[in-house]
Amino acid sequence: MSILQDIKNAVRSRSIHVAYVDVGSCNGCDIEVLACLAPRYDIEQYGIYVHNNPREADILLVIGSVTPQWVDKLRDIWEKIPEPKVAVAIGNCPISGCVYARRGTLTTPPVENYIPIAAQVPGCPPRPTEILNAILSVAPLIYKDYEEKQR
Amino acid sequence: MRSIFYYVREFLRPEWLKKFFFAKTAPLVSPSYFKDYPSLTEKECTACLSCMMICPAPGAIAVLRKKDGWEPEVYPGHCIRCGLCVEACPEGVLASGRILDVARRDKTAFLSWYRLQVDDNLCMRCGNCCVSCPVNREVDPQLAGTGTSASDEVIMRIEGGRVTILHEEKCTGCKTCENNCPNRAIRVARMVEGVQGEEAEA
Repeated sequence: MSILQDIKNAVRSRSIHVAYVDVGSCNGCDIEVLACLAPRYDIEQYGIYVHNNPREADILLVIGSVTPQWVDKLRDIWEKIPEPKVAVAIGNCPISGCVYARRGTLTTPPVENYIPIAAQVPGCPPRPTEILNAILSVAPLIYKDYEEKQR
Repeated sequence: MRSIFYYVREFLRPEWLKKFFFAKTAPLVSPSYFKDYPSLTEKECTACLSCMMICPAPGAIAVLRKKDGWEPEVYPGHCIRCGLCVEACPEGVLASGRILDVARRDKTAFLSWYRLQVDDNLCMRCGNCCVSCPVNREVDPQLAGTGTSASDEVIMRIEGGRVTILHEEKCTGCKTCENNCPNRAIRVARMVEGVQGEEAEA
């Protein structure tokens, strides 16, 4: 069993599937996630693949302070992701609301109120290296020995 | 035929195989000049709160009382790393990237002052602002009641039934007048201007 688990661990460490969802940001963090895909940082060399389909994803990157229209839809997206799953908050907005956290703005941060968040990447916007580091460090915590932890 | 051999030999080289299968771009570190979250230097904080007043993000920085003096604290979930607090601090308590070096090289600084504004439509000439102002009270202890004053050195006084602002530059920004105004007619605004050269050194 442990050999099988070792193989699974080895494979999963190089096969992290990511979906990102923008729940009302200024697009600054979107651009930084996009920069991760570009050759300078090249997210795929670490075995991270980006899909825009939550059913294929392991990790959900949540970007942006949550607008009221996104509240139920974000929960739907979260429920569509198969187990084991994890959500990472990218940028200040999902953590605190950043500059939108004032009176009169139609946002309802933080995102922890709606879905469980495993890791937060603060910054406005965070550097692509910080996003990559967060994904790479949170993935093994969740996926390593997943089957053994279940029992 | 020779070219095939050449290629096979080339592709079996350990360095090439290593480079091909374990390709990595530059390591995931931030460069030294990266404008990261402000860090504390050895300088002593005087609790002037310039950093808190210039900060554009809500709740990003707070000057806290520590065991031996004051100390600014930056909250990463709120800070947007704009570096304005580093630049605005007159003591150089905070440092981030090369902001301080650039400011020293270019001789840039922030000038700030307080601006008093009275909305004549809201003001009902009660004189509360003139009476409550702590600077006014120090300059003219006789000032009371209606807000009229014989002294020309007060910040503001009632003249001919309306508030006249005489010495805006004396305002310390305490906002006592704003809090004591029943109609929210007087507003205290902090103005900041970026200056360069001789003005900044003064």
